[in-house]
Amino acid sequence: MENFGNLMDGFGIALSFYHLALMAAGVLLGILVGVLPGLGAPNGVSLLLPLTFTMDPVSAIILLTSMYWGALFGGSTTSILFNIPGEPSSVATTFDGYPMAQQGKATQALTLAFMSAGTGALFGVVLITALSTWVAQFALKFSSPEYFAVYLLTFASFIGMGSASPFKAVVSMMLGFACAAVGMDGVSGNVRLTFGFTALISGISFLVAVIGLFGIGELLQTMEEGLRFEGLHARINIRDVFHAIYTLPKYWVTLLRSALIGCWMGITPGGPTAASFMSYGLAKRFARNKENFGKGDPNGVIAPETADHSAGTCAILPMLALGVPGSATAAVMMGGLMIWGLTPGPMLFIERPDFVWSLIASMYLGNVMAVVLVLATVPFFAAILRIPFSIIGPMIVVVCFIGAYTIAGSTLDLWLVLPFGILGYVFKKLDYPIAPMVLAMVLGDKAEDAFRQSMIFSKGSLGIFWTNSMLVASIMTIAMLLLFWPLIGKLIGRLRRAI
Amino acid sequence: MQTPSATLVSRFAMEVASACFVMAIGALVCFGAREFGIGWGDAGPQPGYFPFYVGLIIVIASCGVLVQALLQRRDRRESFLTREQGGRILAFFGPMLGFVVLSVLLGMYVALTIYLCSVMVVQGGYRFHKAAAISVATAVISYVVFEVWFLVPLLKGPLEAWLGVH
Repeated sequence: MENFGNLMDGFGIALSFYHLALMAAGVLLGILVGVLPGLGAPNGVSLLLPLTFTMDPVSAIILLTSMYWGALFGGSTTSILFNIPGEPSSVATTFDGYPMAQQGKATQALTLAFMSAGTGALFGVVLITALSTWVAQFALKFSSPEYFAVYLLTFASFIGMGSASPFKAVVSMMLGFACAAVGMDGVSGNVRLTFGFTALISGISFLVAVIGLFGIGELLQTMEEGLRFEGLHARINIRDVFHAIYTLPKYWVTLLRSALIGCWMGITPGGPTAASFMSYGLAKRFARNKENFGKGDPNGVIAPETADHSAGTCAILPMLALGVPGSATAAVMMGGLMIWGLTPGPMLFIERPDFVWSLIASMYLGNVMAVVLVLATVPFFAAILRIPFSIIGPMIVVVCFIGAYTIAGSTLDLWLVLPFGILGYVFKKLDYPIAPMVLAMVLGDKAEDAFRQSMIFSKGSLGIFWTNSMLVASIMTIAMLLLFWPLIGKLIGRLRRAI
Repeated sequence: MQTPSATLVSRFAMEVASACFVMAIGALVCFGAREFGIGWGDAGPQPGYFPFYVGLIIVIASCGVLVQALLQRRDRRESFLTREQGGRILAFFGPMLGFVVLSVLLGMYVALTIYLCSVMVVQGGYRFHKAAAISVATAVISYVVFEVWFLVPLLKGPLEAWLGVH
């Protein structure tokens, strides 16, 4: 009940005209970012972040999270209308969304997508409301070894649960750690890995990396494919909208299953993309008529959308309560929190309950607003995509570089975007996962500090990660299992075949 | 649709090249970490300890990627980049590089005007006056949004100094 009271206080702060206007602005910017290929949620948030440095943290986080919701919705619009996913997490929506649109059911597909996305998000926020205080209280007992174990678990799950080659996941993650280590060392004050370049003393900003990896990298990929939008005309028929809303409860099994998958994948760092694919796969497996999938089955739209959004919202929970983000975008936001002078983690709930609860309240409001705004603006954003890419592409380039410069006002950052862009492009084409790199860049210093402090505690014995408490031992065991899961899974497969 | 154009770079070559590149970075990190000691001091791990092992893991993991690429070579005759795609990438990346160089020399407002205008005329086939109008408008809008509204200064060059805009 204490949570409920807190939530009402949060609504008290979030329900001001200024904050509602920020939500609307954030959602609209987010839809734009989600609709445009080459701009996605992680780098959209990175581009906006420098503009919030002077804002009050509560207003700033409301703006950024609203942009995130908008981007998640915008990504589905292009998936359904143009068969081009605006976001990696809405790839699975194209499988059945675009066929539906081709059959003249675009309004129905869009409405079902947005409504189920809204339902998924609502599920996520309710879960956050119910669990966050409990998780934060639990995390208060953590000391450095526990924190290091949680970080290790986060990274191990990328290796164990990711679809990419485990070696590639490790490479990407460790490159992130290496970038994080550049510059002043927080413990000893030494300047590391700068190789004599004074401009590197302040380190490599993760925001520059995100703008390069996600922004320029995706643009290069889009350009290479010679992008053309050959979409269907987007006209929203109000009667079709209400009809689609009316049919939504029929799909409650898919909704519930997908929301649960999404919540799980969001809290553990599986992320929205994995959640949407997994949910689509399971919906197909449990469907009565599987052959309808891929030809415009409404279940094939509802399943990925619900999971995508519940994962997206749930990714905020570990970021707030533990200081461990569940997705690349959550990692960027967590970086923002640290820049605003807040420490994500359990202490945030004690020191700044107003911040935490107005954020959670704004998640309810922002998602409702996003559903309405995205439906209302579909024709407008679909028209934006008819502007030739020879204008839009270079404009996105300009926005990305301006964004990189505004982070610290340094020309080095302009240069750094280029190699990160090439790296993002090559890595994406060679199936290196990029999210672990971003997470490692944000968490790098914290993970290193936790490790070094634990080592100082234990006088250099790694045994502390098993003996400090029951908790740390169990987290480490799960982490180790996940870390070696690719190997264990292969062994089990071989044993089965042998029998 | 189009006829498939000739492969410029094969996927295998790119896998090997990127693994070697990453390995070199890993080695560089190891080398750089040695500056402050990679062992144990009086107060626990020395500053180079963590980066050194990060670098070492990069080297080992990229060896793994390399071995995987070599093992899968026969099943994988994919192309990484065709000639046509390479051309498109170059046509996009070249002007972008030019934009960065111009930004550093002339400031971002002038650079973005020249960049947008020339890309639209040369690659988009727009008339010069239309392209110029759109690019100048973009520069003015950026100025209003960043300098006036959000009070975030962008990189300026000689033109702004001459005009007395700070």
